[in-house]
Amino acid sequence: MNTNNNIYTVVYTSVIVVVVAALLAFVSQSLKSRQQANEKADTISQMLTAAGFGTKAEFQKIGNAAVLDKYAQEIAEAFIVNPEGEKVADLPLDEVYSPSQLKAQNYKLKGSDVPELPVFVFKNGLTVVPVYGAGLWGPVWGYVAFEEDGVTIKGAYFDHESETAGLGARIKDDPAFQAEFQGENADWEADVKVFEIVKGGSPKNADGSEIMDNRIDAITGATMTSIGLENAIQTWLKGYSKYFSSKEQPAPAEEAAEEVTEE
Amino acid sequence: MNAKLKETILNPIFKGNPITVLVLGICSSLAVTVTLKGALVMALSVIVVCGISSLILSMLRNTIPGRVRIIVQLVVVAMMVILVDQILKSFEATYAIDKQLSVYIGLIITNCIVMGRIEAFALGNKPWPSFLDGVSNGAGYGLILLIVAFFRELLGSGTLFGVDVLNWMGYVPNNLVILPPFALILLGCIVWVQRSIQKDLQEK
Repeated sequence: MNTNNNIYTVVYTSVIVVVVAALLAFVSQSLKSRQQANEKADTISQMLTAAGFGTKAEFQKIGNAAVLDKYAQEIAEAFIVNPEGEKVADLPLDEVYSPSQLKAQNYKLKGSDVPELPVFVFKNGLTVVPVYGAGLWGPVWGYVAFEEDGVTIKGAYFDHESETAGLGARIKDDPAFQAEFQGENADWEADVKVFEIVKGGSPKNADGSEIMDNRIDAITGATMTSIGLENAIQTWLKGYSKYFSSKEQPAPAEEAAEEVTEE
Repeated sequence: MNAKLKETILNPIFKGNPITVLVLGICSSLAVTVTLKGALVMALSVIVVCGISSLILSMLRNTIPGRVRIIVQLVVVAMMVILVDQILKSFEATYAIDKQLSVYIGLIITNCIVMGRIEAFALGNKPWPSFLDGVSNGAGYGLILLIVAFFRELLGSGTLFGVDVLNWMGYVPNNLVILPPFALILLGCIVWVQRSIQKDLQEK
């Protein structure tokens, strides 16, 4: 048979592509539920890591079932707020927001539609909220845990789809970068950025203490990822600002004291 | 025939090793050799992709139109890579490692070893020898990956497969070893050792 004939070539390639596509679609569909279970456990372990219940490596070691158990033990309530800070709906305690769900809310948050912003409150008073945005090559997202006062950051964990290994990927892989967020304070009232990720981080006093407590040192060689993450945090935390500033009232004394020392 | 088959299997492991002699697949061997576990999963993935793609394309070799053969090869290799990626994502034990290897699993498609062996061997040979050729080329690649990863994990983290080997006696992990340049230095050393054993590889 003449395999160089035009009709043969077209039919042959079409058949190969259709067969391969069908096979891949079938495999993808049949493995979907397992992959989603893995993704859910991964998301939960990221939230637990942000809240300081352990490190990501520890959660990986104990396995999916144990991660879900730990979450069920620690979570107090989960609900959705709107940008006005009002609680609009409760979330089932076993439900989390996957990156693809965050993406949908990200469009609404940046557009005119009213986003549904998930809030996860743990039994020890910590509040975990997600952030989501565009990195250099793909989406970046993460979870930020706030102390009970709604201002001080307890911890953060970030993840990404396809940032450059060794550069942008450090938002996920470098615990030192994530540790920088610990103890920082969000500035809910200011019109300026809630958070800035800039070269060098905060300017420092002679004794090494930070003058500004909402600045993080950016990652060298990953400018676009740092900017993307900054925008993600900015967009999302602004969405939560009214929710958190309504929580803030109980501790005004602490705030005032801090301002004095800064001057 | 038997001697020829043996040659097909053994040649890519040492004498015609894809990384140290043909210098293919360098990029991924620098990127995924920080831990032994990652290197092992990557090596097994390449063995599976290389072996099965060679087998499929060798079975199809008399029907493939000559003008579009590269595209047909690409479709089959891409299919295998996506299958491997999907399967790794589905198991709890491999999900994290798949995330860690991230783009490098997908980039097996661009690994010259896979397409090179199909074009050079599978399209001109029967399925069984082609399968063996694919598997042993993958194994030759994997062997170098494991050697590099052994030294990088031992010196860079003080562990092997995540188990503490050096740290308990106060070893301070060397951060240079974690970075890709050290993998290149190690690869250079492996090439050096191989060429001093196998003199016919030395250029005059």
